[in-house]
Amino acid sequence: MFQFSLVTPEKKVVENIDISEVIVPAHRGELNILKGHSPLMSTLGTGVLKFKRSGEGAYECAAISWGYLEVGPTGVTVLAETAETGDAVDKQRAEDALEKAKSELKKPGLGADQIEKLQFKMKKAEARIALAEQD
Amino acid sequence: MANLKDIRTRIDSVKNTQQITRAMKMVSAAKLRRAQHAITNLRPYALKLLQTISNISVTQRVSHPLMSESPNPKKVLMVVLTSDRGLCGGFNNNVNKFAYNYYSENKDKYDVLDLYFIGTKGRDFFKYRGIEVDDCMPNLSKEICYTLAAKTADRLMSHFTEGHYDAVKIVYNEFKSAIQQNVVSETLLPIDTTSASFRTAEDCKFSEDFIFEPAPEEIIDDLLVKHFSTQVYRCMAESVAAEHGARMSSMESATKNAGEMISKLTLTYNKMRQASITTELIEITSGAEALKG
Repeated sequence: MFQFSLVTPEKKVVENIDISEVIVPAHRGELNILKGHSPLMSTLGTGVLKFKRSGEGAYECAAISWGYLEVGPTGVTVLAETAETGDAVDKQRAEDALEKAKSELKKPGLGADQIEKLQFKMKKAEARIALAEQD
Repeated sequence: MANLKDIRTRIDSVKNTQQITRAMKMVSAAKLRRAQHAITNLRPYALKLLQTISNISVTQRVSHPLMSESPNPKKVLMVVLTSDRGLCGGFNNNVNKFAYNYYSENKDKYDVLDLYFIGTKGRDFFKYRGIEVDDCMPNLSKEICYTLAAKTADRLMSHFTEGHYDAVKIVYNEFKSAIQQNVVSETLLPIDTTSASFRTAEDCKFSEDFIFEPAPEEIIDDLLVKHFSTQVYRCMAESVAAEHGARMSSMESATKNAGEMISKLTLTYNKMRQASITTELIEITSGAEALKG
């Protein structure tokens, strides 16, 4: 038994479903977690999270921004600040957001934290576009 | 004494008002359900976050500036959480009064006691009383979302970390049930790890050989920030649910009062109508009698 839950403040995306594997955007690159992984706590960056239900071949995806991952003996729990599944992503809106963030980054005289915020926005938009293109 | 036509107009106008209050009640009932839903949806996330923080801080003995309590705070920021709209009974007034009393009692005790408003009703109340309004976050009445709460939390957090304040308190209406709201005041920052909710979370079993990636200090730093946003979001969600609950019950009683008023007016109307018919009849019969001679 290897269970997976993905929870955000606004809704439970999936709860205690049996999965065979999950790929998460950990804060230093992607992480693939299979059954029997040793206990791990990590923070997640912005990106696409993929998981495979047990007995099924295809991945299901969700775009997340900031998350916390806990791998225990019975399964994986992910707390994400936002999580959007494929059908909920508006590709046009994500592209607009990306364009806007990019053009704002080019402006002179930005503070360090502003740049960080814009880069975060860019990453988020990119993750959503990647998700929309997969379907 | 009002004549028949006046009373008729009056009845019509009260009926119109009743229709409005009844509609408002229905709308609030629907919104209340949604707001309650938001609170229940938040619970698993908030609980897990709390458990993890307390687990890490206990097993790894991590301390963090956000958790260390300053014994007597000197610079306090008070967040007053109200709604943007009225017509909800004592909802806003209770919070405002509480905050105002607190403010006037403790103003001299602290070096700095500033107010931060979420919702315009609180801001207007204090502005009217000549208290300087620092910062305000309006438009709570639309659908509450986590993003808005996170933005507010971010702003409060930056005030705290930059050292403008060494304690952040919040006053809001806690949602008890659809007909009961309580004004409560809580300390949001520094995060109180000795509170009951933290202690109960410790009971769950926790293996100590976790791999931390990055280090526990960094994880807990992130988690505490998120915990704070979650707390702000929870307060907002509770307040919105309480607002709709308060509006629902006050509109219900308004509808009932309008109904009573209509029946009273109708009674007077009928009495007057009958009186006038009787007078007319008497006039006719006495006229006929006179003609007979």
